[in-house]
Amino acid sequence: MASNPPFRRVLIANRGEIAVRIARGLRELGIESVAVHSDSDARCAHVMQADHAVPLHGNTAAETYLDVVKILAAAKRSGANAIHPGYGFLSENSTFARAVIDAGFVFIGPRPEAMDRLGGKKAAREEALAVGVPVIPGTEQDHGDASMIEVARKIGMPVMLKASAGGGGRGMRLVERQQDLAEALVAARREAKASFGDDRMILERAVFPARHIEIQILGDMHGHVVSLHERECSVQRRHQKVLEEAPSAVVSEALRQKMGAAATALAQRVGYDNAGTVEFLLDEHGSFHFLEVNTRLQVEHPVTELVTGLDLVHLQVHVAAGGRLEQMLAGKDLRPRGHAIEARICAEAPENGYLPASGLLRLVKEPEGPGIRVDSGVYTGAEVPPWYDSMLSKIIVWAPDRAMACSRLSQALSSTAYLGVPTNVDFLRRVVDDAAFRGARLRTDMLRLRPELAAGPQQGPEALALAAAVLCQAVEPATGGNGGPAAAGARSDSVWRELEGFRLFEGRR
Amino acid sequence: MKISREYLCDGKSVAVSAEWIEGDRWRVRVGDQTWEYHAVALGDGGVWLAPVGQEFDRSFVAYGAPAGKEYMVRVNGRTHTLAPPGPRRGRDAPGADGTIRAPMSGTVLDVHCKSGDTVAADQTLVVLSAMKMEHKLTAGLTGVVQSVAAKKGGTVDQGAVLVVVEPKQTNHE
Repeated sequence: MASNPPFRRVLIANRGEIAVRIARGLRELGIESVAVHSDSDARCAHVMQADHAVPLHGNTAAETYLDVVKILAAAKRSGANAIHPGYGFLSENSTFARAVIDAGFVFIGPRPEAMDRLGGKKAAREEALAVGVPVIPGTEQDHGDASMIEVARKIGMPVMLKASAGGGGRGMRLVERQQDLAEALVAARREAKASFGDDRMILERAVFPARHIEIQILGDMHGHVVSLHERECSVQRRHQKVLEEAPSAVVSEALRQKMGAAATALAQRVGYDNAGTVEFLLDEHGSFHFLEVNTRLQVEHPVTELVTGLDLVHLQVHVAAGGRLEQMLAGKDLRPRGHAIEARICAEAPENGYLPASGLLRLVKEPEGPGIRVDSGVYTGAEVPPWYDSMLSKIIVWAPDRAMACSRLSQALSSTAYLGVPTNVDFLRRVVDDAAFRGARLRTDMLRLRPELAAGPQQGPEALALAAAVLCQAVEPATGGNGGPAAAGARSDSVWRELEGFRLFEGRR
Repeated sequence: MKISREYLCDGKSVAVSAEWIEGDRWRVRVGDQTWEYHAVALGDGGVWLAPVGQEFDRSFVAYGAPAGKEYMVRVNGRTHTLAPPGPRRGRDAPGADGTIRAPMSGTVLDVHCKSGDTVAADQTLVVLSAMKMEHKLTAGLTGVVQSVAAKKGGTVDQGAVLVVVEPKQTNHE
């Protein structure tokens, strides 16, 4: 790779763990990073990780990380040459990408034209059909609720409603009964409008049982596109991925080649020139169906990095600067090696209907050890604001085979603590330790069919937990008691009063 | 030095205390049970705990931290959220007592009830938007709506009372 950094300074239009991860990658390339932050994120980990920071006044996503004018003003003010959008927020917004380019910055992502042709669900379905990739029966022609209900009548229930402009599961819902469709459309449109500013819907037959298999692609500006193979993200709750892995236990080399060829054909057709993901459903007969394209870096990109040895953020930066993939990947064996699994740590209570939570993280203890990677956006003392996505961090493990990767992830999760707000750590461990997960018997609706995995054990705390709680408060001043640091200080004073007569430095006097 | 706490355990209040003996040794009481433990703060928030006399086969590392009025403790890879006696917080069992509170700060998208309505337990009363997701808040019990504080489009803080439902009297005990 080039020894001269392709850019001097890059603004990261995002927050939390992905902004931390991008800032780290930029620093490795000798590029300065610029963080942006809302008022409530002024002490967020990504602000501390970056070389520079620019405030975006306000708190809601709309008035901060989604505000194109403010982001561009921050880029100008900070002297950045390029903007990395991360995932979520403005990452798949071609209007934003165009505005970035028009303002004289490089957009670290695909060309806006490629985003338009693959990012919108309607266009993407048409492109998929054009390259001979099978799509799920349904419609991308949204002529209002009545016509959608009519299509559902034709293709049969259950159906899936998705936001045309959407990604990441928001604005998406499963509708099982015809009579619930009208109400579901209203709610889905409202959620889509709030998340993406566009309430158009796409309706597809819901395929069950199915596995979610996606292909990581990477293109450059010179017409090259490579497949970096599949990830399996079948463990989902309410259309949000929970656990992701690479490779998939059920994808043979032949199927890998076939799906990779379909994904790269689709990308090549539109001149795709950065990182992207083509998502498919794999049905029980082993046939795959096109789902959607995410025209950005994915949350789960680390599992691909761990099995290919590549750094996708580095590659994104290089191709955005005009680098050639054939040079960057020359002599590299891209076949997947070993097995990687990612667990998304979220501030939410699966035991209480996945209710998201905000508040003060009083104790963060992240796992460590061979084969464990933590992409984190929090620290002990960090505030989890109520305004954004509830994901705090990702724990990713690598091992030579899937069984060891499962064992390693279970061990990593058991030595993890995020305390102060409810999290899904215990839930993740229950799923990883479940026989179906260990046996790779995965399906996208497995958590819906097995509510006991979310509910957790029903018995109350045993005496050991109560003993541990009171001892932690007795000896750990930082997290003790109900009063915080002030009360802890008072307690340690009292320890020294108790120890009257004991002189710590007696020998030196 | 001694610290004492009280936590709800399967609906009953249990007295818990830790009394310093000497060095890293503490006497722990949970209800009417008593043990002696070594307790060593590890500096990363964790505490190594070992029953005196069984240091080499019964020791473990615990992590604990307050979460509002509750105390979260992580033992053997499992998190326990210990609540002090008294009224439960809003985010637990929402609506089960007929008071529907905002489980977290957010915006009220819709209000599906008015004073005097008879509502069923699984009926959605308020739709709240928080952390970019929609949350349907259900009545939690069958009854009659006494008051509605939630206003469509309004923002609410965590724990704010949105709707109060008077439980319907059942004829059988």
